[in-house]
Amino acid sequence: MLSIILLSIFGIVVLFLGFQKSKNILLPATLLCIAIAFAANFVHWNDAPGLYFKEMLFENRLTMSFSAIVLLSAFLVVALTRGFADDEAAQPAEYYAIILFSLVGAIMMIGFDNLIMLFLGVEILSVSMYVLTGSDKRNLRSNEAALKYFLMGAFATGIMLFGIALLYGATGSFNLTDIRGYVGTNSFSISTLLYVGLLLVLIGMLFKVSAAPFHFWTPDVYDGAPTVFTAFMSTIVKTAGFAAIYRLLSGSFEGIYNFWWFTLAAITILTLVVGNITAVYQQSFKRMMAYSSISHAGYLLLSLTAMTAQTPDAIVFYSLAYSLATVSAFGVLMAVAREKSVQSHENAEDFEAFNGLGKRNPLLAFVLTVSMLSLAGIPLTAGFWGKFFIFGTIVERGNLIWMLIVAILMSAVGIYYYFKVIIATYMKDGETGALRVPPFYRIVLIVSTTLTLLFGLIPKLLS
Amino acid sequence: MNYLPSDYLPIIVQLVLALGFIVITMLVTHNIGPKRNSKLKDEPFECGIEAKGDARTPISIKYFLVAILFVLFDVEVIFMYPWAVNFKKLGLFGFGEMILFMGLLLAGFYYIIKKGVLEWEK
Amino acid sequence: MNLLLLIPLLPLVGFLINGIGFKHIPKSLVGVIGSVGPVVAFILSIYAFGAFRAGNNAPVIIQLFDWITVGTLNISFSFQIDQLSLLMLLVVTGVGSLIHIYSIGYMSHDAGFGKFFAFLNLFLFFMLLLVMGSNYVIMFIGWEGVGLCSYLLIGFWNKVTNYNNAARKAFIMNRIGDLGFLLGIFLIIQTFGTVEYLPVFEKAVGMSVGDSAIAAITLLLFVGAMGKSAQIPLYTWLPDAMAGPTPVSALIHAATMVTAGIYMVVRSNVLYALAPDTLEIVAIIGLATALMAASIGLFQNDIKKVLAYSTVSQLGYMFMALGVAAYSSAMFHVITHAFFKALLFLGAGSVIHAMSDEQDIRNMGGLRKKLPITFLTFLIATIAISGIPPFAGFFSKDEILAHVYEHNKLMWALGVLGSIMTSFYMFRLLFLTFFGDFRGTHEQAHHLHESPISMTLPLMVLAVLSVVGGFMNVPHVLGGHSALATFMDPLFANAQRANPALFEHGHLDHSTEYLLMGVSVGAALLAMGAAYVLFISKKNVPAADGQESGLQKVIYNKYYVDEFYEAIFVNPMRKLSDALYSFGEFIVDGLVKGAGGLVKLSSGQLRQLQTGETGFYVFAMVVGITALLLWNFGAIIFK
Repeated sequence: MLSIILLSIFGIVVLFLGFQKSKNILLPATLLCIAIAFAANFVHWNDAPGLYFKEMLFENRLTMSFSAIVLLSAFLVVALTRGFADDEAAQPAEYYAIILFSLVGAIMMIGFDNLIMLFLGVEILSVSMYVLTGSDKRNLRSNEAALKYFLMGAFATGIMLFGIALLYGATGSFNLTDIRGYVGTNSFSISTLLYVGLLLVLIGMLFKVSAAPFHFWTPDVYDGAPTVFTAFMSTIVKTAGFAAIYRLLSGSFEGIYNFWWFTLAAITILTLVVGNITAVYQQSFKRMMAYSSISHAGYLLLSLTAMTAQTPDAIVFYSLAYSLATVSAFGVLMAVAREKSVQSHENAEDFEAFNGLGKRNPLLAFVLTVSMLSLAGIPLTAGFWGKFFIFGTIVERGNLIWMLIVAILMSAVGIYYYFKVIIATYMKDGETGALRVPPFYRIVLIVSTTLTLLFGLIPKLLS
Repeated sequence: MNYLPSDYLPIIVQLVLALGFIVITMLVTHNIGPKRNSKLKDEPFECGIEAKGDARTPISIKYFLVAILFVLFDVEVIFMYPWAVNFKKLGLFGFGEMILFMGLLLAGFYYIIKKGVLEWEK
Repeated sequence: MNLLLLIPLLPLVGFLINGIGFKHIPKSLVGVIGSVGPVVAFILSIYAFGAFRAGNNAPVIIQLFDWITVGTLNISFSFQIDQLSLLMLLVVTGVGSLIHIYSIGYMSHDAGFGKFFAFLNLFLFFMLLLVMGSNYVIMFIGWEGVGLCSYLLIGFWNKVTNYNNAARKAFIMNRIGDLGFLLGIFLIIQTFGTVEYLPVFEKAVGMSVGDSAIAAITLLLFVGAMGKSAQIPLYTWLPDAMAGPTPVSALIHAATMVTAGIYMVVRSNVLYALAPDTLEIVAIIGLATALMAASIGLFQNDIKKVLAYSTVSQLGYMFMALGVAAYSSAMFHVITHAFFKALLFLGAGSVIHAMSDEQDIRNMGGLRKKLPITFLTFLIATIAISGIPPFAGFFSKDEILAHVYEHNKLMWALGVLGSIMTSFYMFRLLFLTFFGDFRGTHEQAHHLHESPISMTLPLMVLAVLSVVGGFMNVPHVLGGHSALATFMDPLFANAQRANPALFEHGHLDHSTEYLLMGVSVGAALLAMGAAYVLFISKKNVPAADGQESGLQKVIYNKYYVDEFYEAIFVNPMRKLSDALYSFGEFIVDGLVKGAGGLVKLSSGQLRQLQTGETGFYVFAMVVGITALLLWNFGAIIFK
């Protein structure tokens, strides 16, 4: 919980650092803040699970792992914002402060023990995201994306809030433990309000993690937002969202598994199909990644539908693998597009941007390949084990093998569009001339790729 | 306390009456009133003065900023009331909390001034 | 004991250094870097051996980390140090070090010097993983790794198409075996719920003899061993593998990798003890391979091909020993064979080096004056492999034959026949190469020279080992203590508990044993005499290609097995794939394209949904929410 307090203070501090003449200090300062928060996150690692702030927040090793993934991804993404402050009119301090504040929201979502905290966390994170999406003020698409995101997000928030109200109406409490008690003791006379409320809260959360049919905002927003924040959204929001859904379902509603599993299963299948199949047709790498992120939401939902003892571990591992691969993929895109946008403003983010990358910069090509392989779930990468563990939970549940079949078919489709990137990288001829990558980028990319390979070789390392 | 569906009957009657009144009035006026359109009648009416230009004139962003900041601080200050009512009961802890809250608020206020948002002309 | 970790790690480090930097590291340094790892690993192995003896011979498990956990199955990355892995360690690192040193001289003129050492080190790493792992999965990783390195090294001179074909052949034949091994591992998981050696064997002890699951496991594992250790019918890759540089043939295709199959069977001795039928099959295949390969060796004219068939044949002997449950004898032969066969290959390499890459023995002759050290060491190795006392091969081969005699007299007789052939073709090789007059070109004669010290030193060391290697396991009948057998005994305790009947056989009395020894030694000497008469007294030289006749022709052409495989498997496969290809044009392609097309079509349709209008998005959301609500609560609403 220390990390929440620290991040809030750091956010304000960074805000005021912005008045400094030199803007160069902001990035290192923000990185330092996140690093400190990361360390503070583990203060209670060896303690028993505990409740904080009058039972508002909860902390155990699982929530700490999720927070660690969020903070690690944030660190990597923020490191990629180098060159961000070069623009005269930019207000980097505010963006960095918003990033820090949004992390507070994410950690609150991960460890909520009270539905109020869930709502607060979701809102802090979402509002930050609306602003960051529109941060490219002169770009119409960015503005459009922000407005769309805001409108739809507000709608989803309303539905979620309505659901929370219904849950309160049914149980008389916002507290997860109390709700669990209600579900446990009244197993034969549970109010319909509770079912409706749960469904609406779930819908609100599923919107945030872009599950079909609530995914429509994703491609437009991912496409319109500046690439750094697309990376931020697709890693941190997703991880926090899934941690929250897991916490909600496992914390209060395990008793009525028979009610919600089928709804979740249907949404999972729809998400997998829509995400993977639509991704096939995309020409823009960013849009492809948006659909791919929808499909990965589907895999994570798969494990939530199974809801076995292994589920939390599977989600943690998958989120980590997915976040690392996504950060490196977007990192490479930024490095390539930065160069390209100097020459022409069009199509800088299409697959063609990667043509001939294998010759222009072998490092970038390698990083991109590993990341794509990991996303596709090819062995010796972390993504493989992520999928492996996820599928393992389904197998453990036993009666959901049909979902597994769909998921495997869909991951076969996934291989197609991920390999399209690799093919463009190595087999197609594009521009020539070496591509220079700033050292900062290089470090981030090497770190994330190394971790991907390391966890791919030794998945046990994370436990 | 258990409500039976029949207990809601008065509400439904009320709802039907309200909706019915609106719908019927609209239908009736549309159908029995005469319709004579002319150029003059279609013009917007503004206190007898002739309408000029576009209604969507850009307004300085500063209006919005000041307005939104006003709402923000206004709402925050409302938190003072419940605190003042329970001042004795909350004691020193409550006082500390409120100081922290006000501190954060002031930090924000300071930031706004520093940023120059409240300077109308620059 | 953590020093043990360094044993596999050192070659890996060598591989990384040479592999990444071979363009930048000076040539003189590459060899040193490449050789230091194996040598230090060898020293550490000796140290480990000492520590193991001091620690009352208790098996040591070194747990590195848990690797994979799926449900209840836990596969850890750990090493097991016991008698078996120690012996293999000593052989692999010891012979490996010598061959690395030898390669410094042998490969010095090659452009791919650094690459060569990198691959060699990588091979050593995987081989050490294979023998040190404490479960079947680690063994499999090593197994695949050595296969890969073998492929890379056979095709090392990849400019020549034939060599590439040889590499591919080895790779494919090994894959067939590996499939068996992999299925065997799955079956082990299925049966025992773990892949760790100790628990598996512990659980196996309680099972009944002839259990069908065990029989299936052992058979599948043996298929793996057939591929790697070149047994009928998967042996033809090994002679072709001689396309690789000679040190590779010595290290991988004689001393270490090809004995992995034997190691695996000895490791699984408990399982095999429970499957007497499998053992019978192993023995028969071993014997058949031994005889067939030996007979092919009789008429080969390529110095390395002779040695390759000899290796296949000796491996057959080892499997025969395994088949009669003489596990320690098989291991004994693995060790002595590693000494003299590595020596033979390195000697051959020295000859080839001196002859400017000439490998046909018909063009050699009289080399003993020009290459005295090579000749002497080669002579020692030949005596050793022929089984003439008191050299190493005598003891190990005799032990195998004695066990076979206990098991089945006919197999023994055939075994002796094999050893006659062995003795004949080896001395034929020796006489044709080193005696008589030089038959090569004038240029070659001019160029003849003894190899540099870095090449002859390993030869001398191996020669000494070939002479004295047998004394580590002198049988009781000759006044020894069977030291090696006693050392390895604890390994087979479980097997003896599981199937005591297998190890109960009447002890041969001393006079029988003397008789057996006499027969085999006499036979070997006889064959040697025959070879002497044929190739020294009569100065026969094998006819040029295509001039052989009758049976000789059949044997010279390796019984036409390659052609047979070509006709039975390769061509039909090719035809089938052609047929399938044209068939596939319509159906398979149609299916694949259809599925792909369907995906693309639906993708195109789904894409249309993404209109970009927020209104539509919200509408879709509302429809979704309504559908979910109706689905879940429709029953209540429309009651």
